[in-house]
Amino acid sequence: MSAPGNAMDSLSAALKCNIIPNQEYLLQGSVLDQYVEVLLHRLRGLCDNVDSGPESFHDHELCFSLRIANTGATTPMSVFSLRVRRALDVSDTPYQLRYIGQQELGDKNRPTVVRSSIDMACSSTIVDFLTELGCRVDFEYIARGYMFRKGRMKITVSKIFKMGGNKPGETVEPISQSYLVELSVLAPSGQDAIAEDMRIFAEQLRPLVQLEKIDYKRLGNIM
Amino acid sequence: MERDIEQLNSALSAIKVLRSNVRNVFDSVSNGLRADHGDEGKESKFVHELQELLTTVNNNLRDVENAVSNLTPPPGAFSLGNTTYLSQETTQERQALYGQLVNSYKWTDKIREYSAVAGNILAANSFNKTYKTFSTTKRRKTQTSNHNVPPEVIENLITSIDRLFPDVTFTTNRPLVPNPVIQVSLGRVLKAIIAFKGLMIEWVAVKAHAESNDLWAESRYKVFRKVTENCHAAMCHFHSPMMPELAVRSFMHWFHSYNTLFSAPCKRCGNHLHTTLPPTWRDLRTLEPYHEECK
Amino acid sequence: MGVTILTQFNTENRSGPQNIEILSKRILALGATQQGQFLVDCETYTSVPQLGHQRTVHVLHNSEQPATVFSLLETGAKTIPLATDGLFDLLMMKMSHFYTSKKQTKSESKGPRYEIGDFCVKLGTVTVSSNFKGVLVEVEYRPCVVPAMCWDLLKEFLQGFLGLSGPTTPPTYLQNRMQENYSPIDTIHQYLEHFTMFRKSPGIGMRP
Repeated sequence: MSAPGNAMDSLSAALKCNIIPNQEYLLQGSVLDQYVEVLLHRLRGLCDNVDSGPESFHDHELCFSLRIANTGATTPMSVFSLRVRRALDVSDTPYQLRYIGQQELGDKNRPTVVRSSIDMACSSTIVDFLTELGCRVDFEYIARGYMFRKGRMKITVSKIFKMGGNKPGETVEPISQSYLVELSVLAPSGQDAIAEDMRIFAEQLRPLVQLEKIDYKRLGNIM
Repeated sequence: MERDIEQLNSALSAIKVLRSNVRNVFDSVSNGLRADHGDEGKESKFVHELQELLTTVNNNLRDVENAVSNLTPPPGAFSLGNTTYLSQETTQERQALYGQLVNSYKWTDKIREYSAVAGNILAANSFNKTYKTFSTTKRRKTQTSNHNVPPEVIENLITSIDRLFPDVTFTTNRPLVPNPVIQVSLGRVLKAIIAFKGLMIEWVAVKAHAESNDLWAESRYKVFRKVTENCHAAMCHFHSPMMPELAVRSFMHWFHSYNTLFSAPCKRCGNHLHTTLPPTWRDLRTLEPYHEECK
Repeated sequence: MGVTILTQFNTENRSGPQNIEILSKRILALGATQQGQFLVDCETYTSVPQLGHQRTVHVLHNSEQPATVFSLLETGAKTIPLATDGLFDLLMMKMSHFYTSKKQTKSESKGPRYEIGDFCVKLGTVTVSSNFKGVLVEVEYRPCVVPAMCWDLLKEFLQGFLGLSGPTTPPTYLQNRMQENYSPIDTIHQYLEHFTMFRKSPGIGMRP
């Protein structure tokens, strides 16, 4: 009967062994509304969960950020962003809390975007908790769509809606005439081989949808 | 109806008369000439006699036809029950009915005999497991069957008990229609899964709210295992084949007293705990809490 | 998960290990069996001054719920509980720019865990940044989830086992929640209450 270890000790041991999936490999793209059926059809053929049909989801996502108010000229502004997601279609599921770090585009040879990510289930008090922690809501949206699996890869095809009114789900307005397509894998760091698998899979969806490394900074400049 | 039967009877008797007279004709024909016909003109006498007989037969036949025409034909086909199958298979050996019939006749006869004896003995020595008395004969309704009752009767019983206790919630599900399994939640204290066989309680399992609804798995907590045991005892105690509804009602009334399982101290020793268990026994009449060792 | 009562055991003039030994003997004499060890720890983080008014996050782990991290955020006005996966610790590391850990307040209670009937008894030696502070006794009555229903029963058990130093009133945290359904976070609240008291009290100065 050994004494239970300190939680922090076991966490740092897990970190050392590199078994915590804290890196997200990501490719993004979009498809117009009128072609989404074709894409879903293709995905149904390519992915693992064929017999049970695609898994649908309807989630509400809130993006929080924690920033230090008085940043002097010398200290760079520190921003820390967190996302909270909850299912609108299934009750009594836990909320999901997610930290997403800075993304690395890497050079041309790297097939996907890599960003650090910590994903965890949490209780419904999380929204209050983050608000009182000093976070503020940057934006929120509703995503509705389908999820597919192919080995370790996760493919989501979702429609993004603006939040309308105070109650979620009351009146929602789609943000655009297209669906967001994401291909992602959550893995411990250093498993770059998976990125190659993702590139090959993305090839198979061309030319219906172009899954690419999206550089948000550049998008910011366009807008 | 009365008339129909009368007519049927007269038709039947007409047929009887016809048959007997036809028989006379054949008798006389088979005997041929007899001594009483005398010597002279015996042929013509015999023919004359035969003619007379045939006239009688003719008359009788007319009577039969009249009687039959007066009968009203039965409406529709007859339902003959199981006997219709008799026509399907006619060989006696293959039906093997006779042996079975004899056996079942003997069996029913024995049942009659034994039940008469048992009835006498029971009437002389009445033993009641419960405190009820059957003094008034009016209350002794004969219920033919308690394990094979229509589902609505059980449903009504359950809803009426449900109304009796506000802090008890009932959920029913019926894997087998006439034998429901109900889940009884006693406030936030415990829940019981009760299986019925008709109107009789067949099995009880007491568990914590967080545990599964499996009827056969035991609770993981000692206290609920003990309560389950006691429920089985009470179930047998209250069991009464004559008045199954009352049995269920008394059982539920007794069971309801467990809403103080954790909060009531033992009536005898005044303590909450004895061998780390709260008072798990409830007196069957007074419903007072006792430890198993104190009762 | 049943109702849990946490209480300090009067240490009188004995040392921590002596107290634990006495209590172990008593509980074993009552017929308990030892079922492993337990550990509850608590680390406290405070917000950096740039974030405005000071807030405190207490992060606790309980070996009874090994896959969960409990956090309690104190804003001064209210306390918000949160239960998450184990990775929350990793998130707190990432947040070190905003919330810094106060190493000198790291507290833990650990010791043997006993089971007796439907009760679970834990005898914890409390240390605050490795200094011995006292003994915490945790008693859980697992079949019952409503504190009001089984408080008398638990009181009787505690008094039978701790003698006169057993509690006579429910823990302050539970007093307003006697009719509510008990959940693991309530145990965490009680631990934090005691850890806060131990932190304020002067150290006994004895290493356990």
